[in-house]
Amino acid sequence: MTIAIATEAPTAAIRLRAVRDSGLIAGRNLRVLRKNPGRMLYPLVQPLILLVMQVSVFGNLALAGHASGTVGMSYREFLIPGIIIQNAALTAPTTGLALLRDAGSGLADRFRSLPVSRAAVLAGRLGSDAVVFTVQAMLLLLVAAPLGFRVHTGLPGMLAITGVTVVFGLSVAVLSAWLALLINDAETAERTLYFPAIAIAFISSAFVPVGYLAGWMQPIARVNPVTGAAAVIRSMATGGGLAVPLLELACWGVFLFLVPGFLAARRWQSQN
Amino acid sequence: MNDLTPAIEVSGVRKAFGQVTALDGVDLSVAPGSLTALLGPNGAGKTTLVRIIATLSRADEGRVRVLGFDVAAQPKQVRARIGLTGQFAGLDDGLSGRDNLILIGRLAGLRRRQAVERAGELAATFGLTDATNRLVRTYSGGMRRRLDLAASLMARPALLVLDEPTTGLDPASRQQLWTELGALRAAGTTMLLTTQYLEEADRFADFVYVLNHGTVVASGTAAQLKGTGSLDEAFLALTREGAI
Ligand SMILES: Nc1ncnc2c1ncn2[C@@H]1O[C@H](COP(=O)(O)OP(=O)(O)O)[C@@H](O)[C@H]1O
Ligand SMILES: [Mg+2]
Repeated sequence: MTIAIATEAPTAAIRLRAVRDSGLIAGRNLRVLRKNPGRMLYPLVQPLILLVMQVSVFGNLALAGHASGTVGMSYREFLIPGIIIQNAALTAPTTGLALLRDAGSGLADRFRSLPVSRAAVLAGRLGSDAVVFTVQAMLLLLVAAPLGFRVHTGLPGMLAITGVTVVFGLSVAVLSAWLALLINDAETAERTLYFPAIAIAFISSAFVPVGYLAGWMQPIARVNPVTGAAAVIRSMATGGGLAVPLLELACWGVFLFLVPGFLAARRWQSQN
Repeated sequence: MNDLTPAIEVSGVRKAFGQVTALDGVDLSVAPGSLTALLGPNGAGKTTLVRIIATLSRADEGRVRVLGFDVAAQPKQVRARIGLTGQFAGLDDGLSGRDNLILIGRLAGLRRRQAVERAGELAATFGLTDATNRLVRTYSGGMRRRLDLAASLMARPALLVLDEPTTGLDPASRQQLWTELGALRAAGTTMLLTTQYLEEADRFADFVYVLNHGTVVASGTAAQLKGTGSLDEAFLALTREGAI
């Protein structure tokens, strides 16, 4: 039908529309959070509890000064970046669970029946979760200061740490989105999505240098993006060398956004 | 597209879910400006057909044209022109009624100001003005249904598709919904709606298709079907086996 083809919007307009739609969905998610503040307890309060508890219990341990990555650093300065990243990893499943909640409600059909870009629901969810991750990271940094975490690089360092935490959290969130849609059952997802999050947090240098971990963990811990992200934050706080851990983390980030992102978007589309 | 082009044209549609054949060669057509009922017991295939018409699902075989556009080849054109009230409310429980309407209106392409204005208008039409700032979670079943219908109307669709809009409502709410659907029809909106209730199809529809086991087993105006006894007969026979 030639008339129909002629009225097809040009590509640039379609892209603009996708951005607008994602923004609308992100705005909706944030509004739901504002109207239902109880839903913010998990992402915003639990991390603070974990931080205070972990630092109060483990913070007075001393690491041998020569252990890799801890030179000139107190254990608290080593531990707290690990806790920040651990919290981002533990928050990421909420992205998948929220997406699955949307997918299972009549709302998903409503969205799909509208002329809305199909990536908008996923992109909008990531957009609103970026805000949650940002607030979470800033709160953690605020509380971490009196607990012994000094950012020697000042405000730029703090902003950089926040940025890295948010990007890391979002890339794991993309993975959780795909896994949740794959599991396709809210209750099962609620009970299983935290397993991998807990595993990647512990099989890493988040809490102790890789050399202190059980032997079987060490090869996994070396390539784990949690290790890379924690190392980046430590370097950012102390002003140490960044190039290698940042590059490693960037590779992981790109990989996680692209591969599970593509799979999640396809999964969202194909539900019929 | 001219006045004679059907608003919906379904030909030879088949759809299976694994071993279950949900639609087994369905043909039907909905005239512009009409209210057409798709009558059938649970499991007849009503929702499956509605979802294909609304571009939510693809037929395995056959063709569906909606307002002149092929649903498989031009889904965006179709989505821009239809309103869907699904079997389950397409609403966000965590938002107010007003915020739901505005969100859906904006996703349908309205500007913010237009959406706000239209949301107020529709809330008034559907008797929801007092509840408009309450979270939808606190709404009764009838209020939800009305809000869901209002949401489908935000962008003034040329065609409205409704999947069992009255199921689960008490008689008063059902009556109220029918009054509203009647007003829409008077305003010229084409409607296809599914129902399990024989008397609804009889009283309100211009044209009735009776669906069972994924095929159209009878069709005509309610009067025609009743004249031959086939509406009651067909449907009762079907529901007898379908109900148990
Ligand atoms: N997603 C699905 N997976 C498997 N079977 C399905 C699915 N959707 C519908 N069916 C089956 O297709 C048939 C028609 O279902 P449906 O269209 O929902 O009927 P109705 O809406 O008339 O009650 C039923 O047997 C139902 O179990
Ligand atoms: Mg149904």
